[in-house]
Amino acid sequence: MRSVLQKVAVTLLALACLYSLVHYWISVRSLNTITTGNQAVENWEARLEPVKQALPIKRGIVGYVVEWDVPGVKYAFGDLETEYFLSQYALAPLILVQGAKAEWNVAILKPDEIKIWERIYQGKFDVTCLKNNVYLLHRRGAP
Amino acid sequence: MILTIFFFFLIPILNGSLIAHLLWPERKGSALLLKFSLGIGMGLGINSILYFLALNIAPKQINVLAVEVVLFVTLGIIVFLRERNQKWERRRFLSLSRIQWGLIIVGLIASAMLVLIFVDQSIAQPQAGIDAWSIWNRAARFISRDPENWRATLSPDLYWHDHADYPLLVPLNVAWGWQMIGSENVRVPMMVGAFFVLASIGMMFATVALTRTIGQASLATLVLMGTPLFVWAGAGQVADVPVMYFIFASSALMFLALTQQNSAFLILSGFMAGLAGWTKNEGLLLIVACVVALIVVNLKELFRSLKFFLAGLAIPLTMILYFKSIAPPSDLFTGSSALVQILDISRYWMIFGALGRQLLTFGYWPFSIFIGLAFYALLMQIHWETYFDKGLQALASTILLQSLGYFLIFLLTPHELIWQLNTSLYRLILQLYPSELFLFFSVVSEPEKVFKPT
Repeated sequence: MRSVLQKVAVTLLALACLYSLVHYWISVRSLNTITTGNQAVENWEARLEPVKQALPIKRGIVGYVVEWDVPGVKYAFGDLETEYFLSQYALAPLILVQGAKAEWNVAILKPDEIKIWERIYQGKFDVTCLKNNVYLLHRRGAP
Repeated sequence: MILTIFFFFLIPILNGSLIAHLLWPERKGSALLLKFSLGIGMGLGINSILYFLALNIAPKQINVLAVEVVLFVTLGIIVFLRERNQKWERRRFLSLSRIQWGLIIVGLIASAMLVLIFVDQSIAQPQAGIDAWSIWNRAARFISRDPENWRATLSPDLYWHDHADYPLLVPLNVAWGWQMIGSENVRVPMMVGAFFVLASIGMMFATVALTRTIGQASLATLVLMGTPLFVWAGAGQVADVPVMYFIFASSALMFLALTQQNSAFLILSGFMAGLAGWTKNEGLLLIVACVVALIVVNLKELFRSLKFFLAGLAIPLTMILYFKSIAPPSDLFTGSSALVQILDISRYWMIFGALGRQLLTFGYWPFSIFIGLAFYALLMQIHWETYFDKGLQALASTILLQSLGYFLIFLLTPHELIWQLNTSLYRLILQLYPSELFLFFSVVSEPEKVFKPT
């Protein structure tokens, strides 16, 4: 009896492994038919391509301005954090730091949000509007 | 393009395999498979070290591929001279029993499925998950886009979640691959991931076949391959499968060293432990765990065994120490109130609770693999006499110490514990999973005993 059970155990274990793979394969196949979110990486890179071209520096620190730097604007931290990762990945080897702390800064803000931001930092930055709500900010008076 | 990438990486892999063969000249089929599987990790590890040295000495001026080719020719000549008068054993596959053939065929079917899943997942998610591009491939971009200023990837100005302190074995190989083909092709990180998946499977089969039987090796490999998380993480372009592979390789080699009284395995074990630390910070814990396991288990021959282990560890450890001297501190060791957290009983409950849930759901299996294996062990006979085996004691001690280290990290993490558990516990369990499977299939009765012809 024990020997039969042992044979069943070996067979079941081997078949369970195959079943597990089939089960997982089906779920992976379904990934092909839905949006996986991976296009986000390519789309974001395309979005930041103009700023990458416009930036006169190719290494060093660049400020990164988004909704969290604009008082009164509501935002979802998780979304902004993911956008930061996407921006950092796209603009590497430049190092993105939060806020307009560097000579050169990148802003990703809606038109009404950049207006609020400009009011706060009036006269301190030259703002160049690029495509898709992306702005290049250059600190005035910097060398 | 895939073939071009493959051939660039083939040279370091062959170098790794040749070094393993020089240290351990065994010619059995399973030994050769083990050496090739070791060669993948060793080769990619050596490649990353060479590229790291080139970046530090003269970036863009030292051709690492040329160094690899010279190394390959040198090693090839040495091996040829040593092997030309040796007799090679012919492997007789026809002597395998029915159950062995059966399990091998099931294993081959599972391997084919695994390849298809890997390809499907890579097509569906070519950039893989957020960790892949925000941590590992980001670091690779910093290196490949500006080799002269590669240290920018370690900048403390980077956001903490970019993990500038993470070791560079995987990013260096990806950056090197990109440099070789001249573009940031996503197939490079995919292929690096595939190499470590392949190496882990080969290691599992070869080590169990060497120490137990072909049937047992097939079953152990099947369980590893049947774990969806293994494929998911392998195709996910992150460093969890590479560090898992190095942890397994180092532990299994220590096991072989102590059971077969062969110092060459200890050198290799030390080297693999070092490469684990060169891949991910969890590997640093493995180095400590291996040394402590050697002290506990092999006290009588401690000096001898430590000497060989440290000899293997020396080169990667030197790289790690230098790297850590220029990298920012880990986010895990900043500003936590250790004593308060150690005394907080609720943290223990949370960790054990999460562990319990993983026990039931680990690996994306459609059922609990750990409970399944517990039933399997109950039905099959367990060889309790192996309890006194030094190799198994060392293997079990390494797993236990590594687990204890992970537990302490959870206890002391400055981040929110629930978040830390949800995002990393399953990956830490995966890192120890092949070593645990190897231990399990080393003590459980093999299928050949059950299916022996009457």
